Amino acid sequence: DVELDIVEQEPRYKPKDINALCRTTHFTRSELQQLYRRFKDRCPTGVVTEAVFKDMYFQMFPKGASSSQYAHYVFSNLDKENTGVISFTDLIGLLSRLYRGSLHERLRWVFTLYDLNGDGCITRQEMTSVVQAVYDLMGKHTDTPVDETTVEHKVEALFTMLDTNRDGVITLDEFMEACSQDNTMVHNMDTILNPL
Amino acid sequence: MASVAAWLPFARAAAIGWVPIANNPLPAPPIPKDKRRPDDEKLLINVSGRRFETWRNTLEKYPDTLLGSNEREFFYDEETKEYFFDRDPDIFRHILNYYRTGKLHYPKHECLTSYDEELAFFGIIPDVIGDCCYEDYRDRKRENAERLLDDKLSESGEQDKYIYRSIRERMWRAFENPHTSTAALVFYYVTGFFIAVSVMANVVETVPCGRLPGKKESQPCGERYKIIFFCGDTACVMIFTAEYLLRMFAAPDRCKFVRSVMSIIDVVAILPYYIGLGITDNDDVSGAFVTLRVFRVFRIFKFSRHSQGLRILGYTLKSCASELGFLVFSLAMAIIIFATVMFYAEKNVEDTTFYSIPSAFWYTIVTMTTLGTLDIVGVENLNLTTRTIGAACSLTLIFLRIIFSIFFSLFQNVIVKTQNGIRLDGQRNGNVLKLIMPKESYRPLFSLSIEVSQISLAGPDCQRYLAGLLDQLDIFDRQQQHYFRCLGRHCHRRVWLYTICTFLPNPPPPSPPPPPPPPPPPPPP
Repeated sequence: DVELDIVEQEPRYKPKDINALCRTTHFTRSELQQLYRRFKDRCPTGVVTEAVFKDMYFQMFPKGASSSQYAHYVFSNLDKENTGVISFTDLIGLLSRLYRGSLHERLRWVFTLYDLNGDGCITRQEMTSVVQAVYDLMGKHTDTPVDETTVEHKVEALFTMLDTNRDGVITLDEFMEACSQDNTMVHNMDTILNPL
Repeated sequence: MASVAAWLPFARAAAIGWVPIANNPLPAPPIPKDKRRPDDEKLLINVSGRRFETWRNTLEKYPDTLLGSNEREFFYDEETKEYFFDRDPDIFRHILNYYRTGKLHYPKHECLTSYDEELAFFGIIPDVIGDCCYEDYRDRKRENAERLLDDKLSESGEQDKYIYRSIRERMWRAFENPHTSTAALVFYYVTGFFIAVSVMANVVETVPCGRLPGKKESQPCGERYKIIFFCGDTACVMIFTAEYLLRMFAAPDRCKFVRSVMSIIDVVAILPYYIGLGITDNDDVSGAFVTLRVFRVFRIFKFSRHSQGLRILGYTLKSCASELGFLVFSLAMAIIIFATVMFYAEKNVEDTTFYSIPSAFWYTIVTMTTLGTLDIVGVENLNLTTRTIGAACSLTLIFLRIIFSIFFSLFQNVIVKTQNGIRLDGQRNGNVLKLIMPKESYRPLFSLSIEVSQISLAGPDCQRYLAGLLDQLDIFDRQQQHYFRCLGRHCHRRVWLYTICTFLPNPPPPSPPPPPPPPPPPPPP
């Protein structure tokens, strides 16, 4: 009698048919192929765990930066059902929305990123957490040193700009309206997302 | 960083989360130089007839290698539309996998030199060898280097690798390593000979030598040939004294030398003679003088410089001192218990031998150590001192048996190491094997501690790790740390490195892991 060790199967995931993906996203077939090949190289099982995600951020921002918090927020945003893993479909959905989507879609995603608990409004607390995480990405060696007051001021400034009815939270509509009128923001988004 | 490149689109996308925070417009993105680049294409590489195909992007992950840069165009064959390389296809497989996976593997069955050549040809530095194969690679490299060096040395006949600046250093080196020069070897054998002569003389001078005319009983040889023995003793002592003084002169750290065990043995061996010279034939002190002569027998311990086995026995004693101590303690406990019981059992009996507990001790000891026969046979002829010494003798046998059983388990390990060409003395302390590697006496003595749990020490793995470690001990750089991490991860052990600097003028304190001092300059070829 041979006793077999029960090996825990790592979650595998295969994306749906490439044609279906072509239809649901704004990518062409060859673009999807390239993206998937690169993804599969890095994650042969087809899913990305949070650890891998954080590791990817860590490799991008070395030296003194604490990228894990921001990576965590992005990951949680993508992993809506809290399964602990995200699949290629999720990632490609994000890319499609951001790179090929309209301004509306992009702003909407940014809102969901800041809205940590997903209740439709951004509170001061949530904003502070995310802003802090972004500043952490830069690490300790910056030209102008970052301290607690920097984040506070930044959050105050943002709230002043975005919270038009002064009720202490920012709703989706307020966010969209304020941001689409801010030319700097629009320009910056285009700059980041221009090449693929 | 191929994997980073793969993730770049995702990271950039997520970066728009920073946009609300940015105050100012961000700078324009870098425009890719060649916008009209065609889509990724497959390249054909022909290596001595075996064809490989891969994406161009895969090769261009590493632009400072041959395949990743324009250098490959030199090998492009227009007719067959492929890149042709007249190299080893088996090794090329690994090189191509490096581009694909980012990890370079070293196949164990390949010759190290040919592998190195291929890497050099394709512009890949060996540093990128993956953790899984790196330690193996370093082992082989070190073996190769050693073999080459040995060949060179045997060709040129040069034994001495380093230039020593002063006579003192040379002398010390000669004392510690007799095989380095002829003079040292001669000295070694001469001292050995005189130690043997001295010990034999001690024995022979007590042998009855025949009757002098006019005397009733035969005299021991020492009395009869007093002059001869005295001259012989003088000669030996002079040699020993000279040796001791020379060693003291040559020793780099004299205080340490004076305190070392061997020098104490030397002193104890020659002191009785000098004290005897000073004492006249006074009856009062002649008894003490005779006792002093007993110490001459310690000359036999001088042999430990000549015998590695004796040294190892010494190490064993030191290392298992705690176990021996516990043995003595438990024996003492048992003796007290049994003696007490016997005393109280015999208390009511008239005229018993066990009139007190200590008197029961002797019986208990003698029985417990199976000495009993000594006490029964001819006990009336022996006084207490002799009996005690007889008991001590038997106890020594028992302790020696215990020591040797531990000793042989240690001895085996040490022998295996030496047979492999690596001279290592070892001592095991529980789970930790401490290896002391004296490479040169003037260089630091490196002591390595490896936690041994399951692997057999005589196995080839451990030897290879050790061989690699020996190499690494010379160079303190990132690679060493990397190597130790490999080692630790590979055999799931912790590896500590202590540098115990002895015989250097200013020894740094031992601390893990300190940087070792730079090695002495290499000799000119």
